[in-house]
Amino acid sequence: MTWSWIPSNAAQIWQLARENAYLGVVSALLGLAISLPLGIVAARWRWFNPPAQTVVNVFYAIPALALMVALIPALGLTDTNVLVALTLYSLCILVPNIVAGLRGVPEPVRQAATAMGYGQLRRLVAVELPLAVPVIMGGLRVAMVSSISLATIGQLIGVSSLGYLFIDGEQRDFLTEVYVGIAGVVLLALVCDLVLVGIRRALTPWVARS
Amino acid sequence: MDESARAGDRGLITFERVTKRYPDGTVAVNALDLEIPAGKTVVLVGPSGCGKTTSLRMINRLVEPTGGRVLLDGRDVRQADPARLRRGIGYVIQQTGLFPHRTVQDNIATVPLLNGWGRAKARGRARELLTLVGLDPALARRYPYQLSGGQQQRVGVARALAADPPVLLMDEPFSAVDPLVRASLQDQLITLQTELRKTIVLVTHDIEEAIKVGDLVALFRQDGRLAQVGTPERLLGAPVDDYVAGFVGFDRGIRRLTFFSAAGLDLSTGPVLSGDATVAKAQATGEPWILVTGEGKPLGWVPAQRLAALPGDTPLAQVRTEGVGHTFGVGDGTLRAALDAAVLSPAGQAIGVDGHGTVVGVATFDQLRAAIQAADSAVADTVADTAGAPQ
Repeated sequence: MTWSWIPSNAAQIWQLARENAYLGVVSALLGLAISLPLGIVAARWRWFNPPAQTVVNVFYAIPALALMVALIPALGLTDTNVLVALTLYSLCILVPNIVAGLRGVPEPVRQAATAMGYGQLRRLVAVELPLAVPVIMGGLRVAMVSSISLATIGQLIGVSSLGYLFIDGEQRDFLTEVYVGIAGVVLLALVCDLVLVGIRRALTPWVARS
Repeated sequence: MDESARAGDRGLITFERVTKRYPDGTVAVNALDLEIPAGKTVVLVGPSGCGKTTSLRMINRLVEPTGGRVLLDGRDVRQADPARLRRGIGYVIQQTGLFPHRTVQDNIATVPLLNGWGRAKARGRARELLTLVGLDPALARRYPYQLSGGQQQRVGVARALAADPPVLLMDEPFSAVDPLVRASLQDQLITLQTELRKTIVLVTHDIEEAIKVGDLVALFRQDGRLAQVGTPERLLGAPVDDYVAGFVGFDRGIRRLTFFSAAGLDLSTGPVLSGDATVAKAQATGEPWILVTGEGKPLGWVPAQRLAALPGDTPLAQVRTEGVGHTFGVGDGTLRAALDAAVLSPAGQAIGVDGHGTVVGVATFDQLRAAIQAADSAVADTVADTAGAPQ
């Protein structure tokens, strides 16, 4: 380890971390926006669930680099290319979580809401989605951490992230740079995860603290 | 004035030949004809699977009948918009169905908010209802998980009453709480109902509960047909067949005494002596047991044999006594309480007390039997009067 390398390259590390965070966070949030309607439909109409799950699983089976390369003709060597690939991966985690969260709403609660005079849409928005928040946020945490990590692969098609430090360090046979890249990704994932835990707590004051 | 009079007239529910047959052929409810009068508590009771809950849910259209119709104040419920219909019908279920993500006050305010009340007005109403159901308004900002089971059930009742609906449906509302809490919730429902005069339809499998809270009890058979509808006294005193007799229980003879007042009971004062009286005076009564009192309150029973060994001038207060068991209220007590007091008394006599706990007199089994027979013949007369009437 050459510790002195870190402070002298701090500005560049910080820049790469920000780009990495951007790719990971934005793709996870895009994934959430797409998964919500898919998950709601799959929870409501059961026949839709098996094909939806199969499709998102198939995306997950495609290796990340291969997917990004396959997207080059359409999207080029751009941020958008990596964002699309990461968003597709996050669906695989988020859709099942949203379905599970909505199905996990206790039947007596659902029935009480209906009997109070909620229509279906109002019940979904006012009762079912809020109650699914803990499970959905659990899925979002996994999706975001995974996106932050996978974003580094984008470096191979020239999209900047902490992945630069792995490749550059390996080419120059300078392990300190590789270690800093790994530590940076882990730290970034940890910080985003803590932020999500904080948001989840703020959204769900009604969950019993154990 | 006018409004409260009208409240009592709204909420008449009529089942006309209502049948619910599921696609697999199961018949949950079989040609049910039943009229639930406005402002009364009617209990649907029967074994599990008898269709009582299905019948209840057809009132607010959680279940749709496959035959016949359910009328609310003369209108087929299927002509109404379901959401609007349901906002006028309170609903309480066993598992409470409280919204875990809303505070107690916002749970209670649910229907007022759906009806477009402002938040401040709805929350004010919620706090009123907390008091009405016997909860501390300080609980308003708690979440359901922070309440006990009994408290949650009270919040469930408050939520159902929030928009002041004329009809309240209760599906096994007190089955999930322990017996002490259940008894207090039942007592409170009875108290609330004397004030509110809602049409309450309550489903239970517990015949004791049915008899305690119901103005009318509708007992279902296993096959979804009605076995008997009537007042609790009628079910206990004149079951139509062995099924009803079996369902109301082997001790129905004693339980129906709950409906007879102890006011008609003959009481004797012969065995009652104050603690200042002497042993000699007690012996002079010739009673086998003497009830010793202090300032009018019962202190204990003394058997006559125990007095024989004592000097005649000993005050009774110094003699060892047996416990009094419990007493019954002469004004407000029932014959069941009096009989129970006699059974538990070492002297085999029930001690009647007034509202201050002062002894009025005691009753022997013979006196109890006379009172029960008198009450029975009074009921037999009314049954004869209404024989031939429907139900």
